[in-house]
Amino acid sequence: MTSTMDLVDELEREQGILDEGAKREIRRAVLTAVCVPGYQVPFGSREMPVARGWGSGGLQVTLAVIGPGDTVKVIDQGDDAGVNATNLRRMIASTTGCAESADTREATVIQTRHRIPEEKLGDEHVLVYQVPVPEPLRGVEKSVAECARMHAEDDYSKIWVSLYEDLVRNGVITRGSGYPVLVGGRFVMASSPIPRWDVPRLHQCEHLNLFGAGREKKIYAVPPHTDVRPLAFDDVPFEVEHAPGARCRLCGSDDVFLVEAGADGGYLCSDTEWCSRVRDRDADVAGHRERAPLHLLPDPRTRMAGAATIEPYVAPARVSGEQEWSLRVSGIGKVHGRGGAGAVPGTGPENGTAISPATGAIVAAWDVSFDVAPGEALGVIGESGSGKSTVLGCVIGDVDATAGQVHLAAVDGGRTDVLRLPADERRRLRIAEMAVVHQDPAAGLDLGVTAGGNIAERLTAAGWRGYHAIRRRAAELLDRVEVPLSRMDDPVRTFSGGMRQRVQIAKALATDPPVLLLDEPTTGLDASVAAGVLDLLRGLLAERDVAAVVVSHDFAVIEALTDRTVVMQLGRVVERGLTDQLFHDPHHPYTQRLVAAARR
Amino acid sequence: MGYSGARGGLEAILAAEDLVRRARDHAPAPWASTEQITARFRLAVDRVMGEGGLYHEPTAAAALRQAEGDPLEASHLVRAHRSTLPRLAVSEPVDPDEMTVLRRIVPAFREPDGPQLLGRTTDYTGRLLEQPDGPPEPGTVQDRPARERSEEHRRPRRFLDLLRKLDLVADQRRGDDPEPVDITRKPARPPAPRSAVLASMARAETGGLVSLWYRSILGPDGDVHEVTLGEVRHGRVPLRVRHPHTGNPVTLGEFRVTEAEAIENLDGADEDRTRLDVGYGLCFGHNERKAIAMSNLDIANRRFGRKGPLEQLLLLTVDGLDSAGFLEHLKLPHYVTFRSIVERKQAMRVAAEAGEGPAERPADPAGKEC
Repeated sequence: MTSTMDLVDELEREQGILDEGAKREIRRAVLTAVCVPGYQVPFGSREMPVARGWGSGGLQVTLAVIGPGDTVKVIDQGDDAGVNATNLRRMIASTTGCAESADTREATVIQTRHRIPEEKLGDEHVLVYQVPVPEPLRGVEKSVAECARMHAEDDYSKIWVSLYEDLVRNGVITRGSGYPVLVGGRFVMASSPIPRWDVPRLHQCEHLNLFGAGREKKIYAVPPHTDVRPLAFDDVPFEVEHAPGARCRLCGSDDVFLVEAGADGGYLCSDTEWCSRVRDRDADVAGHRERAPLHLLPDPRTRMAGAATIEPYVAPARVSGEQEWSLRVSGIGKVHGRGGAGAVPGTGPENGTAISPATGAIVAAWDVSFDVAPGEALGVIGESGSGKSTVLGCVIGDVDATAGQVHLAAVDGGRTDVLRLPADERRRLRIAEMAVVHQDPAAGLDLGVTAGGNIAERLTAAGWRGYHAIRRRAAELLDRVEVPLSRMDDPVRTFSGGMRQRVQIAKALATDPPVLLLDEPTTGLDASVAAGVLDLLRGLLAERDVAAVVVSHDFAVIEALTDRTVVMQLGRVVERGLTDQLFHDPHHPYTQRLVAAARR
Repeated sequence: MGYSGARGGLEAILAAEDLVRRARDHAPAPWASTEQITARFRLAVDRVMGEGGLYHEPTAAAALRQAEGDPLEASHLVRAHRSTLPRLAVSEPVDPDEMTVLRRIVPAFREPDGPQLLGRTTDYTGRLLEQPDGPPEPGTVQDRPARERSEEHRRPRRFLDLLRKLDLVADQRRGDDPEPVDITRKPARPPAPRSAVLASMARAETGGLVSLWYRSILGPDGDVHEVTLGEVRHGRVPLRVRHPHTGNPVTLGEFRVTEAEAIENLDGADEDRTRLDVGYGLCFGHNERKAIAMSNLDIANRRFGRKGPLEQLLLLTVDGLDSAGFLEHLKLPHYVTFRSIVERKQAMRVAAEAGEGPAERPADPAGKEC
């Protein structure tokens, strides 16, 4: 009878780098990756006999998919003979019994670092890439959890802003290798890093691409016949590497990826196999030339050519359904602390406190209702602590409401309570359905990004992909809010408080949202600056069909901007009516105090 | 006849391997046997077992010898070896209360239940360099008769029990992490259960974890404040596996672990300020630095892990193979990616000459390449 020890001994005698269970696990991850192109599949990456960073991910994928009937080719920088490629090749061949070749035409599995072979690849090829950094968003977002959210929600505006800013700062997109690509119209993916020269080879290719990142424990794939588009603005072409007049010093090719030859100058093919075969006349040079991305060579004229042909901006048509209002807020309540609705009795103006005598919870707002029609502005006024910003927070989605509903006419004809929508859908509402101007510009802007870039953030989120159209729209908006166009390409950090607030307003209006929420928009500005911003807002509201909610502690602001007003005290609405009437004939003693304060 | 390619790389690799072998294995010095390494470099062996995630002293010793004493390289050898082994069984959970203590220190009480057992330590030995000419004479160390030790001495009650009796411990037990995450099979990414973070720390590179702990105290973004060590112990625990036929747990042997409990004062707005929090650390072998750092960081992670970068740091930056592997890969050729960078610099100049940027007053870049 075979004992367990015999089995263990037998297993230990097997020459392998990975046990069979691990290979099965990796193949499962590969299958998932093929099913969801461009999505990074987590896997239980094993330690390999090569260091993490030396191709341990590619090696695991290769070992999992290769068999004795395969022929392996390994390249590093396009070179079969480099020490790293040589080392991996002998490791793969000696532990799997597969054949080795440096000839792409003979190979079935090609493990590569940083290149796609110049030779034509077909459905007989599996190309396995070694990936150091699988996360394309890491450059713009360091939090792993936040990157995962951005992928899940298809929220890629941050990386688009980085491309916009790159063009503004440098006149070209300066990203070198590992250029981010959009796979299957859905996932943004890091391209290995291969040079930009190789990126077009991924689009609708015939071979299977598998990407292994061992250190970061991710596998992803581009299956054959999949759309792979470099992230680039529609009107500024993606560019591959090129040096005018450069040719390989050995084979004379000018339609291949060339690398610097060394101290003596000149260039060499990075793909040593191709170079050698061109010299031996063993290469389909004409077919290769057709594949080469010669239509994507850098050309300063094409970058700016799109500026001449922009369609004028037309505000989106809004269908508001049968509702008369754009925004309806019904019975909103927020309790901080224990007790929920049970904490409400004994609080409110008539009791003189917001603190629940039963549970000690703070009833920040309760039973607050209002609606706002297109072209109308509603004021919410109260002292600080009266709950007005809490109510706005509930509408925006920053605060979880304890009770109540919020309806937007633009969402499902006003039938859906947006408070019940999942977090990602609520976040999406803030792109085009509902915009916010915060008291603190830093809450609504990225201060390190230019004024134009901040507006580009909203526009790219809404799907804008024309660089010149974004520039023109941003310029229009900045001009309208009276920010000098000479400051458009300066970071907002260098702006004064009033100017920052104007940029924030411009960004809020970028997509012509039907609902605009203004939270103390002029508080914190000098009186004269505040007056200017107030004038601007009055003009903007008058010329637009937007439904606005203005939250302020200052009756002067409310009076300047709004048609109707609700007055809040200790979390409740104590009076409501036309702003003019409230201002001239306040009934509630609290309203009278607020009016008196504004008249002083 | 296809393209064959040059083979210069292979010759260079074989020559380098030969050089290492000759200098290491045939050095003009006595061979270091596995027994010598486990007996004389106990702490290095323990460290490699912990960071390698494999408890087997002879394997760790062989790895240290092959790695010429580099513990990180040795851990890599151990882990790569581990990848070749099938997983035959999963052990039963270890109950640290069953530990037979070899050493146990309770700094927070003068007279805890059970002993303050110094054990094998150089904590109180002057750090004076000894430079003996040769091995010590036999008989210079007196044989001491083994002391009779009671059950209480061998298995003292843990400090946490004493604190619980005094009702001083905030109860952090939760039901949402019932089965410990196996981070070798399921990559742990934030947000992750506590068990994943503990597992990541238990396998961490010791220096990396201690450095992160110290940063947490002295760094600008520190999360560790009132540092009190409740207890640290080193001892043996039994390893049990369910028998494949009978299904009953069978003890296969014992292994040594270091265990630590750290106390942190609770003072946050939503915390129970009348009680203390206790963090936990456990690792293979005798490695007190790692266990203590781990226990402190366990609390810091529970309190602040997701408010700042700590959880991501603990899950993703303390593994020695990860960090060293990435660092060492910089030695690989990068001339393709470098060419791509240089080409963009040249394109920027051409663009500037064509009168289109760069901007006069450039902002900082929005995002970086990485």
